[in-house]
Amino acid sequence: MIDDLNKIAAKMRVDMLNMAYSAGKSGAHIGPALSLTEIMTALYFSVMNFNPQNPGDDCRDRLILSKGHGVMAQYAAMKQLGMISDDELLSFKHNNTKLYAHPSMNSEMGIEFSSGSLGQGLSLGVGCALALKLKKNNSRVYVILGDGECNEGSVWEAAMLASFQKLNNLTVIIDKNNIQYDDFTENVLSMNPLDKKWESFGFDTEIVNGHNIEQLLQVLNKKSEKPTAIVAETVKGKGVSFMENNPQWHNGILSKELFDTAINEIGGVL
Amino acid sequence: MTTLEAYTKAFTDTFGITDEEAKNLKFQDIKAWDSVGHMGLIAAIEEAFDIMMETDDIVDLSSFDKGKEILKKYDVEID
Amino acid sequence: MIQITPQNIRMWSLLGSCGAFGAAAESVVQENSNIVMLTADLCSFAGLSRFSKMYPDNFFNVGIAEQNMVGVAGGMAKEGLIPFVTTYATFASMRALDQIKVNMGYMKLPVKLVGMTAGLSVGILGATHISIEDIAAIRSIPNICILSPADSLETVKCVEAAVQIAGPVYLRLSGSMNNPPVYKADYDFVAGKAITLKDGEDITIIATGTMVHNSLRAAKLLEEKGISAKVVNMHTLKPLDVDAVKSACSSKMIITVEEHSVIGGLGGAVAEVLAGIEKKPEHLIIGVSDSYKPAGEYKYLLEQYGLLPEQIAEKIEQNYKK
Repeated sequence: MIDDLNKIAAKMRVDMLNMAYSAGKSGAHIGPALSLTEIMTALYFSVMNFNPQNPGDDCRDRLILSKGHGVMAQYAAMKQLGMISDDELLSFKHNNTKLYAHPSMNSEMGIEFSSGSLGQGLSLGVGCALALKLKKNNSRVYVILGDGECNEGSVWEAAMLASFQKLNNLTVIIDKNNIQYDDFTENVLSMNPLDKKWESFGFDTEIVNGHNIEQLLQVLNKKSEKPTAIVAETVKGKGVSFMENNPQWHNGILSKELFDTAINEIGGVL
Repeated sequence: MTTLEAYTKAFTDTFGITDEEAKNLKFQDIKAWDSVGHMGLIAAIEEAFDIMMETDDIVDLSSFDKGKEILKKYDVEID
Repeated sequence: MIQITPQNIRMWSLLGSCGAFGAAAESVVQENSNIVMLTADLCSFAGLSRFSKMYPDNFFNVGIAEQNMVGVAGGMAKEGLIPFVTTYATFASMRALDQIKVNMGYMKLPVKLVGMTAGLSVGILGATHISIEDIAAIRSIPNICILSPADSLETVKCVEAAVQIAGPVYLRLSGSMNNPPVYKADYDFVAGKAITLKDGEDITIIATGTMVHNSLRAAKLLEEKGISAKVVNMHTLKPLDVDAVKSACSSKMIITVEEHSVIGGLGGAVAEVLAGIEKKPEHLIIGVSDSYKPAGEYKYLLEQYGLLPEQIAEKIEQNYKK
């Protein structure tokens, strides 16, 4: 099963590279999407109750991508689920596309909310989690944040409320790739120790290797009385050597040459 | 209806209490006489005697007895 | 159903717009259990003490965190609840402005944002607490309906309307306790449709919020000076009743009066309509001048900004050319 999931992850990386290449000179947030690959794989293909034929089902688990710039990883998962066609995939960042550079709320695609302005997804997730409890709906809410995004004060406003309201139906996943827009987080505004911060805000906190699907499944399936925070240690640009851990690939332009090199490394075609 | 009956009725109608309970009532003695209930009571008293009370008097009306005293200002004798 | 009786109208007016809001909240939730009230540590101020005790499951005090409150309400709205979000107008509108843009404007989530003590009523607390910029800020964001009731009864009606409106709403509550009533009996309220309260031949005064009452009194004073003024209650600032503005163009002068900055509020909205009309009269914008004045009590500040009825009448008389 883990092998199958890893294969899906590899296909998703190819999808992402194709999207980034198709975006052309406007560039794409390829680094912060690639770091999300295994997290998205684990959620969409194992953990979440999500029916691609009925993405608006009230029983679905809710996924909120607060770090909206990583959305290519979500589109890639939808492509692998058969929700997005090849043509649609390549329309990414083109005029009149459904596939915005930051996700736009779309119930037919199962995109819960629009994002792009950082620090807002957890508040939405807390609102959903409170509403689900009021409606006696047992669905779970998953919110994905970036580590740079955790600079935003509103993240911590929401974190306070989540634990105070004992939202055990809420899981926060922090994609800790250690790089933000300008530079390494260490050189901009380090949040370390990030796990201790979440723990002190009342979350059941776990640290995992964010590229190890087995580890991810283990913590994502754990039950708790408190809201859960998973600090997923990841590598920005994971899977493509020249992008890995390189701040320049937060948002980058793929030339034909670089695209071919990257595809070769991953060993796939669309 | 005497003025006392009308005055008492403002209390009993607003707070859902008996005449006897109304007699010695003070602000916040019962759950119903909170700040919102207070404005309901004032509106009921004003309606009963066709008067408009001043803000200071509205604030000062803190008990059944105090209300009688304040109403004298508006030429309403409760007896 | 909310009982609209003379006694209730008087009670709501005594309670002021916040208290009237609280009373209306208790009533609407009885008919729709999806209605929830959120506050950022201002439960009693928002008139919600009773509501919080009667409907604890429908009440959420999120602490002093306005940005989060608007986001949480967005999540709840998406899940089918009807969240009312309450705090001081200045914090409701501007502390959380990006959340308002993204959740209410961009995603059109049906959050009902309630700004208490809009205008100058808490001016004794200083410029941090007054709210003279909120209409301008929110009006510039697409898709948000803005309601600005003239008195406490209209506040109750606006709460009912906000529940019915499918999209996001900003409910701007101005005035203080013992709000003077404009309406003494029940009437028809339709969001987006201005109400003519007084007819007049010479000029048209378009007012909103507390300034409706002051404009009616100003119109009476002008009457004594031989100027016949029509008074229109523009209780919905967005979408603006464009027809009401167009029909005002047959007067010799249009005056807008608001307890908000002269920049970007009702005056701005009306001027934007007038800009596209070829034959139009002079438009006088009366409101809070573009300044923060020293702290002071409500009436004192209204006087400082020239918003008392006598001052409004005088300003109109000075500018009116027969």
